[in-house]
Amino acid sequence: MDFILGHYNYWIVIFLMMIGFYTVVSRGNLIKKIVGLNIFQTSVFLLYISIGNVKEGTTPIVAEGFTQYSNPLPSVLILTAIVVGVATTALGLALVVRIKEAYGSIEEDDIHDQDQSL
Amino acid sequence: MRHNLILRVIAKILIPVIILFALYVQFHGDYGPGGGFQAGVIFSVAFILYALVFGLDTAERVLPVSVLRLLASLGVLIYAGTGFAALLLGGKFLDYNVLAADPVAGQHLGILIIELGVGITVSSVMLIIFFAFAGRGRV
Repeated sequence: MDFILGHYNYWIVIFLMMIGFYTVVSRGNLIKKIVGLNIFQTSVFLLYISIGNVKEGTTPIVAEGFTQYSNPLPSVLILTAIVVGVATTALGLALVVRIKEAYGSIEEDDIHDQDQSL
Repeated sequence: MRHNLILRVIAKILIPVIILFALYVQFHGDYGPGGGFQAGVIFSVAFILYALVFGLDTAERVLPVSVLRLLASLGVLIYAGTGFAALLLGGKFLDYNVLAADPVAGQHLGILIIELGVGITVSSVMLIIFFAFAGRGRV
């Protein structure tokens, strides 16, 4: 029991990851797919940052009276990942805007039907 | 939204505070949590709020996209320029120690300049993305 509760950060990560994955797979709306992809991304951020946390550790800033601090490397890595995530979201939204202009719809089924009827 | 008085007044009060907070996050990044990425995004939020409340055309008059493109490349230039300045002063690329008389002051100076470059680029790229999306379909 302690093994399960002690690793609660992993459960949160798995829960969020599966929510995002399910949203990407099951929804036909392209904007909802991007939202799902972002939730998936956030779960990976949480995974890395929670692993980098050290028990009783402070933020990795030099200060009087603190010697133990959390590992700053995952945070730096995830800072870059967040920026990349913003860029990929912008790219995905730009593609959705172009698809909407070309097909007049952002529902995947409609787009497939229009492709079939050509 | 041009005639929404409450929204306009609140936005006018909020925008300077947002910019001030962005500058705090920007220049406090060497001692506390903060830095160019976060500050750039907060800074651009102030202008996006302005564009949402006062209209896209007014916002583009304040910050034209051509100026934003120049700023986006200026940030990269500051970043790379700091690296080459360190090279010219006898250190390695992005070696802040040689930027000032003693290494500690050099580290402070280096990270502040680097983060300034990052902040300028991030805020202008965010605004370019916003204007590119919001300006579509408007000839």
